[in-house]
Amino acid sequence: MTLSTSLQDIIQKEIASLTQSVNGLVENLHRMKSPLVESHDKVPQATNQLDKISQQTEAATNRMLDVIEQITQREQQIITGLQHIGEEVSGQPAAKKIDELCELATTNMNDAYSVMDALQFQDITSQQMNHAASLLEEIESKLKNILQTMGADAKVLTQVESAKKVRTYDPHADLFERKTEQAVIDSLFDKSKK
Amino acid sequence: MSQTILVVDDSPTIVKFVSFSLRNSGFEVVAASDGMDAIEKMSHLSGDVDLVITDLNMPNLDGYGLIGTLRQNERYRQTPIIILSSEDGEDDRQRGMEVGANAYLVKPFKSALLLDEVGKFLKK
Repeated sequence: MTLSTSLQDIIQKEIASLTQSVNGLVENLHRMKSPLVESHDKVPQATNQLDKISQQTEAATNRMLDVIEQITQREQQIITGLQHIGEEVSGQPAAKKIDELCELATTNMNDAYSVMDALQFQDITSQQMNHAASLLEEIESKLKNILQTMGADAKVLTQVESAKKVRTYDPHADLFERKTEQAVIDSLFDKSKK
Repeated sequence: MSQTILVVDDSPTIVKFVSFSLRNSGFEVVAASDGMDAIEKMSHLSGDVDLVITDLNMPNLDGYGLIGTLRQNERYRQTPIIILSSEDGEDDRQRGMEVGANAYLVKPFKSALLLDEVGKFLKK
């Protein structure tokens, strides 16, 4: 009988300790819930900011492309005009100066093309931001699952998630890193045609 | 009569950049924002498209889907197609070749390089 009472005491103590642990766990889960909800709600803010950067750099880049197009058109007019004048003053001292001006205008035009080439950074960085935004959306979705398991209000969680946009991007888009030279790619395609 | 090039990309920056380079070299340009838009625009054209330049990752219908669709169409079976993509992995190039593309340009690229590639297929 003494043994049985002692065993009962031990079991009671263990159950009390287990209950305490479970209570502690529940308390910790409750404490975690609030920062998790906060983090979940902040993800769409982060993705919105990334989308805003993409939209605004796109608008600025397109404006620059328009201006560069106008610049190159004007430079072309200048070159054509100078060439006409050059023909008229051929052999005269002014002809040399006109050739120099023509050369300068051509350099300006080539520089404008180089700026235009460089503006492709917008497409690459926009793809990188879309990639980052899609990773954030993945985290948001995982947080949502955890919160739902913890009993968070599903309606509130779905409200935040509903504004998602379709994202297409090359996950390896990069301005500087290139695995293969263009000549190698060309030769592969040339071989495939033969 | 100038030749017509279809430019397909969901990035307005790339469409503007490529269109400008091509127009400046005397080509007519038709722009589309994805594969579906491209097919719709092509169906409304009175003349033929002489060359297609397309991105790969696009919404609705991607570049692979577009190329596959064009290659099944008698009218566009032989039309040169250049892929423009930021992906330069072997798998992407291989798949591009398999669906029927003729060339593959990795973004970012110089406009002169694009015109060289176009010049391989279209003589002015």
